[in-house]
Amino acid sequence: MADDPQRNFRSAYYEKVGFRGVEEKKSLEILLKDNPLDLEKLSTFSQRFPLPSMYRIHVWKVLLGILPPHSDSHSLVGGYRKEQYQDIVEALEVMRYINSSTPSTHIYLRMFQLESQVLPRCSETLPPNEDFLAISRAMEEIVDDSIDCYWLIKCFINQFHIKFGDSLPHLPKSLEHYLSQEEPRLLNHLRSIGALPQLPYSLWFKRCFAGCLPESSLQRVWDKVISGSCKILVFVALEILLSYKIILTGNTRPEGVVKFLCNIPQENTDAIVTKAIDLWQKYCGNPNHAV
Amino acid sequence: MAREQPNVGDLLPLLETSDLQQLEEIRSLINDQLSTERGSMLLNALVDYFLETNSAQALHILSSVREPHDKHLLDKMNDCMAKPACRLPTLMLLGHVVRKQPSWIHKMARYPLLLSLLKCLKTDTDVVVLVTGVLVLITLLPMIPQAGKQHLWEYFDIFGRLASWNLKNPGHVSEVYLIHLHASVYSLFHRLYGMYPCNFVSYLRSHYSMKENMETFEEVVKPMLEHVRIHPELVTGTKDHELDPTRWKKYEIHDIVIECAKVSLDPKEASCEEGYATMPENFYPQAHLRAQDSTSSPYTDLHSSYGSSSSTPFSTPRQPLPPPLSLPPLSGTQSSSSYRSPQTSRRQNSNSELNSSCGGKDPLWSPSSLCGMATPPSSRGMSPNLELSHSASHLPSRFHCTSGGKGTPASSTPATSSPPPTLSDDFPVISLPANTVQSSPPRKDRRPGETSKPGLVRQEHVREMEKSGEGAANRDAGSAANVTMTLTELSVFVTKQELDLQLRTEKEREEAAITEELMKLTEDKQELPGLRGYDSPFFHTTETLTGRQTQNPTSSTNAHPGGPIREPRYAASTPDRAENASGGGAGDRAAASDRSAVDRSWSFQSGFTPIDHHLLRSPSAPDDDSSKFEMFSPSPCGKAPVPYESLFALALPRAASLFVGQKTSEAVHKAAMERLLQREEGLEDGEEEGVVSASPLEVLDRLVQQGSDAHDKVLKRLPLPSKSADWTHFGGSAPLDELHTLRSQLLLLHNQLLYERYKREQHAVRNRRLLRRIINATALEEQNNAMKDQLNLQSVDIVSLRDSLQVEQQRYRQLWDDRETVVTRLHSQIRQLQQSRDDYYTKNQELQSKLQECQKRMDDLEAELQTANNKVGHTGHLLNQMTVKLSNSESSQQQMSFLNKQLLLLGEAHKLSMQDAQQPGMSNTKETEMLRMSHMKEVDSLRQSLLAQGQKLEAAQQRAAELETLLSKKEHLIAEQKKFLEDVKCQAKAELQASDCRFQAQRRITQLLQTELLQLYSQVEMEAPAAAGSSSPPGGRAETRTHPDCSGVAAGGLHAVKQPNSPSPRDSPRGTNGSTLSPGQPKASGSSLPLGSSMNGAQDLTPPLLMEPSAPCPHAALPAADAPLTVGSYPSAKSFLGMKARELFRNKSESQCDDEQPPPRLAGLAHGLKTELCVEPGPAGPAAATVHAKEPPPEPRLRPLGQGSPHRKAGPGQVGVRGPSGPRCPRQQLKIMDYNETHHEHS
Repeated sequence: MADDPQRNFRSAYYEKVGFRGVEEKKSLEILLKDNPLDLEKLSTFSQRFPLPSMYRIHVWKVLLGILPPHSDSHSLVGGYRKEQYQDIVEALEVMRYINSSTPSTHIYLRMFQLESQVLPRCSETLPPNEDFLAISRAMEEIVDDSIDCYWLIKCFINQFHIKFGDSLPHLPKSLEHYLSQEEPRLLNHLRSIGALPQLPYSLWFKRCFAGCLPESSLQRVWDKVISGSCKILVFVALEILLSYKIILTGNTRPEGVVKFLCNIPQENTDAIVTKAIDLWQKYCGNPNHAV
Repeated sequence: MAREQPNVGDLLPLLETSDLQQLEEIRSLINDQLSTERGSMLLNALVDYFLETNSAQALHILSSVREPHDKHLLDKMNDCMAKPACRLPTLMLLGHVVRKQPSWIHKMARYPLLLSLLKCLKTDTDVVVLVTGVLVLITLLPMIPQAGKQHLWEYFDIFGRLASWNLKNPGHVSEVYLIHLHASVYSLFHRLYGMYPCNFVSYLRSHYSMKENMETFEEVVKPMLEHVRIHPELVTGTKDHELDPTRWKKYEIHDIVIECAKVSLDPKEASCEEGYATMPENFYPQAHLRAQDSTSSPYTDLHSSYGSSSSTPFSTPRQPLPPPLSLPPLSGTQSSSSYRSPQTSRRQNSNSELNSSCGGKDPLWSPSSLCGMATPPSSRGMSPNLELSHSASHLPSRFHCTSGGKGTPASSTPATSSPPPTLSDDFPVISLPANTVQSSPPRKDRRPGETSKPGLVRQEHVREMEKSGEGAANRDAGSAANVTMTLTELSVFVTKQELDLQLRTEKEREEAAITEELMKLTEDKQELPGLRGYDSPFFHTTETLTGRQTQNPTSSTNAHPGGPIREPRYAASTPDRAENASGGGAGDRAAASDRSAVDRSWSFQSGFTPIDHHLLRSPSAPDDDSSKFEMFSPSPCGKAPVPYESLFALALPRAASLFVGQKTSEAVHKAAMERLLQREEGLEDGEEEGVVSASPLEVLDRLVQQGSDAHDKVLKRLPLPSKSADWTHFGGSAPLDELHTLRSQLLLLHNQLLYERYKREQHAVRNRRLLRRIINATALEEQNNAMKDQLNLQSVDIVSLRDSLQVEQQRYRQLWDDRETVVTRLHSQIRQLQQSRDDYYTKNQELQSKLQECQKRMDDLEAELQTANNKVGHTGHLLNQMTVKLSNSESSQQQMSFLNKQLLLLGEAHKLSMQDAQQPGMSNTKETEMLRMSHMKEVDSLRQSLLAQGQKLEAAQQRAAELETLLSKKEHLIAEQKKFLEDVKCQAKAELQASDCRFQAQRRITQLLQTELLQLYSQVEMEAPAAAGSSSPPGGRAETRTHPDCSGVAAGGLHAVKQPNSPSPRDSPRGTNGSTLSPGQPKASGSSLPLGSSMNGAQDLTPPLLMEPSAPCPHAALPAADAPLTVGSYPSAKSFLGMKARELFRNKSESQCDDEQPPPRLAGLAHGLKTELCVEPGPAGPAAATVHAKEPPPEPRLRPLGQGSPHRKAGPGQVGVRGPSGPRCPRQQLKIMDYNETHHEHS
């Protein structure tokens, strides 16, 4: 690699001065040039480095299996996906589940329900799946194309549930564990005021912070989740707690704590995420598909 | 200012007020005015006021005028100088100002006042003005030395004019004035000579070389020249250098004054400083002796000239003198007083001389007071005899003074110093008790003899002189001459008066005692006139001697002898005196005090002091009786403490005082000796003594003394009121004139006094400086001593350090030596070691060279070894070859032996055969030959066939190799292909997954749609159950027909709804009608078969399929036979890869076939059902059509979606037809398999 004339000779210094991701784009491009894409490598890359936003959607799609590893069949599969989407939308329209005025997230929800065969009858009224809606709202912000958006939502949720469905219940425990390591006083405080069990775990772990963090920060978290790590969620939550520990320790009412955590200020989330990633890398070492 | 100006002017008269406070106020007012105002008004008023009133206060203010007013003051004075009337007061004012030495005095040279002063001096004829002016000029000269350059010749001219004045007396002024003038000219001479010697001498040379001036020179200037030394500047300096202003820069005013005094030989003028003090004493007598030798004749001339010159001073006293002569009657008291007065004067003189020798002048003494008292001297109270005797007694001394160059020591000491040597010689004798009487007589004998002789001679001489003086002067008085002489003596005393208060009181006491004494003496004297003649001179000489003794220790010792001598004499002459002395002790005390006064200056003889004190003080009575005491009494040692000397002792270091004392004693000794000689000489030829010229100052002194003497006498003799009447008696001139003369004389004296006072101040300044220098010097000396001590200490230190240094050096040397030895030893060791090292080196080298040789040898040996090895190997190889050859040869030998055996056998057989052949005959041979021939041919043909066979074999082998490579290539290709296939498989799988997903979705959709449909159906049925029959029979039938099934279908639908949960979706589709088509459909869409053909094929095939669903395979084989056309084209298009893909597909499809195998069966099982459906295609079509008709709304939308839509369209249209699509798949697979087979076959 070092002899590669195309590679920037400054690359060795970029990381030293903190510009991460300058060379990563190039290496990602190299990765993406492989004909049968190496999913392992891609996910490792995505775990280790932040994804350039211009390739993010593509990588996500590949990682989530929306696009096949073979770039030759991308167009074909893309066509399939598109047709499927259209078919479903058509069917839903025919069945009058949706109409032109239905919000896209609801369309996605119906579609997802249809695909997962849980679409309620028209007469039935199920409580809307808020997790899905939150994720879809976030995804809609991230992705422009509605087809991609739907597929990403669907695959993300599916993958998340398939992959981490088992470990989700353990995440609060590990959060406590890491919190006791990082800031035992805060943990004690939370425990003493009884806010610990009331923390917004569903917001954090089921929705993957959708609606909690702004999309620009969220997509970096999701990079890690999509590339196969749900521990990052724990660290993001930990970092949120650590960042606002002064406010949290000042707050003695669990409701107040929860309320605050549900509506954390959106200013320095980037820093929180960066720190969380650092923490995550610190604790989970070289994140090699660590769960 | 202008308003106040008159006020201040008016205030001026108030200066004379007696109120001190007011005076102070006015003075401060005027001073303020002067300090604030810059105008000249007030100053001019002050000057005018002064000129009018001669006010002392105004003078005081004027003389202390500050800088800005100097110009006005000088201008004003310049103006005043122009007026002859105020010239004198102006000059006096100027004199005061100049003596005050204001800071601006140096500007004088630039103001016209100096010029007018000079002009005045050159032109004026008033002696008083001249004298005053000259004194001012003399005072001014040192202050403006640089101005001499311009005015030098004017000074000289003034000098010349005034010098000649004496002789010519153009103004015909009284001669008294001339004395003053002469004195001032003398001072001017000194000043000019001291300051500008070269120029002055050259002036004198030029001026007095003229004949008309010769007389003046002889008379006036030459005597003056006698009183100066050769100025050093005459030797070293030049005229120009003298006038150089830079020369004067280093001098202060008093420096210049002293410089001038240095060159003077006149003790009254000269300073006794820096070696010059002793010089007059040392040199004077010699010079005098020389002078006596050389100028014996001029002396007379000089004397005569002196007489002429001094006649004027004498004249004044003489004027009153004649009357005494004419009035012989003398009261005893008068005579005594007269006698006393000279004595006192003498005494005073002696004291004054003492003082003058000390260089002191008493400020308390004012000549003016004396002069004031010096009203016409009245000496006529004296008896002529007495006078004579006195004159005789006085004369010698006076003449000594005059003849001795007038120098105080020179003149008088010689006279008295004659006894000292003898005395000193006789001292041991004197020291013996009761020797005094004996010793004194001889002395007495000798002295009187000696003194009487000169006295007589002198008297004669005086007479002569007086006569000459008479000749020269207007009046002459023989006895008066004596008086004048005494007067002159007194004047000297007066001018030089010490007037130490103490001395003064002592003197008065003395006087009192002496008067008493003399009262008696006079009687004795009268009784013993002969004695008197001896006595008085002697006495006087002793008196003078005591005076002289100030400088002369010997004379002082002599003085005492004088005392004792006198006393015995007195005792002899006046027995009362002894009593007097013993009883009252007044005279003794007086004498003692006198002596003490003398002694004070000679403290170095203090060894005698106690004795003296003892003898003279307390036991004054035994003085007379015990001559022993008298022996000691002469010792002049200061019985009283010596304040002055002790003061000096305090101020000076003792060394200095000792030095001074020693010096002076030496000098005095010398001088005394010489004077004695001179005196004796002078005694022998007494004439010469009187010839010595007197300094003008002395003359003036004498004049004053005489005046005061006369005044005394007159006072004594005359009652005060009668004083005025005396004038006519004495002078014979008008009293007014006389008064005027006297007044001006007084003025002159005053001026002179002021001048002298000024001089004294200059001396004081200088003394202070000298004292400071001395102090500095002593301090330095002390420092020097301290330094010397330090030096000594340090030298001691140095010595000790040097010793230690030597020790250290020795030690160092030792150490050095030790080190040297060690070093040498080490060096030798090093050398040894080096040598051994060198040896080792050489050995080492040898060994190395040996080693190298050995290595070389080793190499050689190794090479040899290698070659040997090679040889061995070679030989081994050869051996092997040989063994092979050997074995070969052995085998060949064996063969040989075998062949030999065979040969033998053949030979035997040949023999046998030969035998046989020979036996059967020839026919056999032909046959054999023929046989052989045929065999030969056979062999050839066989060989040829063998060759062909070999060639064939080779070709076959080549072919096999080729094929093998081809095979390997193909295998490689196959691997690649496999990889690619895998890739493609993955791709396809992914695609398949996608499509599967899509399919799933689609299925969900359809399910949903179906459920929707069912719902709708149920709704429809629910709405119109009754109207079912009226709608359409087939439809109704179908509905009825389907109804029973409907439950099944519903079940199936339900089943289908549940299907997602079931793991095997493909099993069930066949069970259901609607869903069976779905597997085929994707296949149909997945396969790339041309749609049209498949459609056609499907449409064509459907009937047979429907007809015989169980036997499609044989049928299918037929279309498969047609299919190769299409299929065959496929591989051609895709070539080898396509072939491989087919293989892959075949595998898949085989497996699929295995899976799909049941569907046909299932289809077969469901055949009954389908046939049922198919039996009524007609009604089914409309049914389908109805379904189809129902579908149109979605159709237009679906159609543009993709290629799948026609199928779907067809699908629903041919629900029943879908079934055969299942069998079609196997056929297709078969086709592929066929293709594969054909391909294999083909390849």
